[in-house]
Amino acid sequence: MVVLKVFAVSLVMAVAFGLIGSSAKLSKNRIANKIASAYTIVFRGVPELLVILIFYYGSAITLTSIGRAIYPQTQFVDIAPFWAGAFAIALIVGSYATETFRGAFLGVDPGIIEAARALGLSSLHTFFYIRVPQMWRLALPSVGNHMLSLMKDTALISIIGVEEILYVAEMATAVTLKPFTMYMIVAVIYLGITTVITFVMMALEKHSNRHLAGTR
Amino acid sequence: MTFDIYLIFDSIPKMLAGMGMTLQLLFLSSFLGLVLGIIILLMRISGRWYLSFPTFVYIYFFRGTPILVQIFVIYHGLPQFEAIRDSVFWPILREPFGCAILALTLNSGAYVSEILRGGYLGVDKGLHEAGKALGLSTPHRFIYVTTPIAVRLAIPAYSNDFISMLKATSLASTITLLDMTGAARTIVAKTFAPYEIFIAAAIIYLVMTWFFQRGFGLFEKRMSRYIKQ
Repeated sequence: MVVLKVFAVSLVMAVAFGLIGSSAKLSKNRIANKIASAYTIVFRGVPELLVILIFYYGSAITLTSIGRAIYPQTQFVDIAPFWAGAFAIALIVGSYATETFRGAFLGVDPGIIEAARALGLSSLHTFFYIRVPQMWRLALPSVGNHMLSLMKDTALISIIGVEEILYVAEMATAVTLKPFTMYMIVAVIYLGITTVITFVMMALEKHSNRHLAGTR
Repeated sequence: MTFDIYLIFDSIPKMLAGMGMTLQLLFLSSFLGLVLGIIILLMRISGRWYLSFPTFVYIYFFRGTPILVQIFVIYHGLPQFEAIRDSVFWPILREPFGCAILALTLNSGAYVSEILRGGYLGVDKGLHEAGKALGLSTPHRFIYVTTPIAVRLAIPAYSNDFISMLKATSLASTITLLDMTGAARTIVAKTFAPYEIFIAAAIIYLVMTWFFQRGFGLFEKRMSRYIKQ
């Protein structure tokens, strides 16, 4: 299941990009601020397919010319489409996660952060032990939606030749001549995965709000 | 590798031709998707299970699968059945344009009906009761009381969906349509200058996104004018 591998790899990267982006957006550093804003505007405004194409073909032509400069007989170099695709998807979902995390960080009670400071925690410790866990609870519902769109974006990487389910279905169609059946199987597989994600997110939300059980 | 800035300027006219196709896809399928979304919404809130259950299945399917897969099922998949090849819809379904419109419409219908349902549920119950007390009939209440407020509440989410539709139209390039992404891909295949061409396309998409966002922002302001007074 290549799709699940892409999903896992880009999910980890997307969360990392989201955390970096949202901290940059909330920081007082003006340059970091500007870079993060540009990042979210560009990656949320350009079609996913185009981003994937830029990364795949762009990286191929760059690496080829570097290769030629070092070793003139080089024909063609590209990075594995798997990584180009996973990285492009992670950057896109990361830009959405940046906005979500930013909102969630703002939702954390400032009193908690002050308390952490008063206890002598460094700002790095405060970030990872206090702010991230607190904001995570608020961000979860949107993170679930981002995970669903990430899962659906993985279908796009068949276009740059990664052998995932859609690509396999295309191959199978050439043999069986039953395109509807093949593509419907792909659709049902995606439907199954998205359903599992939805249930996992519901369970996670319940788990992260367990300290609220009994209140209200 | 050289970054040829003039190539960007050279390719822009060709891509603007593709922009026409992109806009056609966008407007036609969002309009049809809006109509479909309203019908689905009415079926869903009707309170009759034989109307609301099919909409549930429909929304579940179209929100749970990638648009690209939906496009492929419709474009490559439907001609598998003889009944469809013989039906009156064949002239539409034979063309990639018709298939792209159909797939995007069905997809956007599912999302739009959910967005409108959110707006509908956000309307204060008291307003509904007030309408009833004033003796308005159910259709009147729906048209004059619920709809204007639900529309106002649904605009932010709808504008997001509209932008995703704009981005989804780029997938039409996978079924041989020459929209902006399709045009860019053909030029890249000829010149092999992916950075210049794709970045030029990305800039045009960004401008379009910005433009539509402004438009929806102004519309929302106008629809909220009752709040300020």
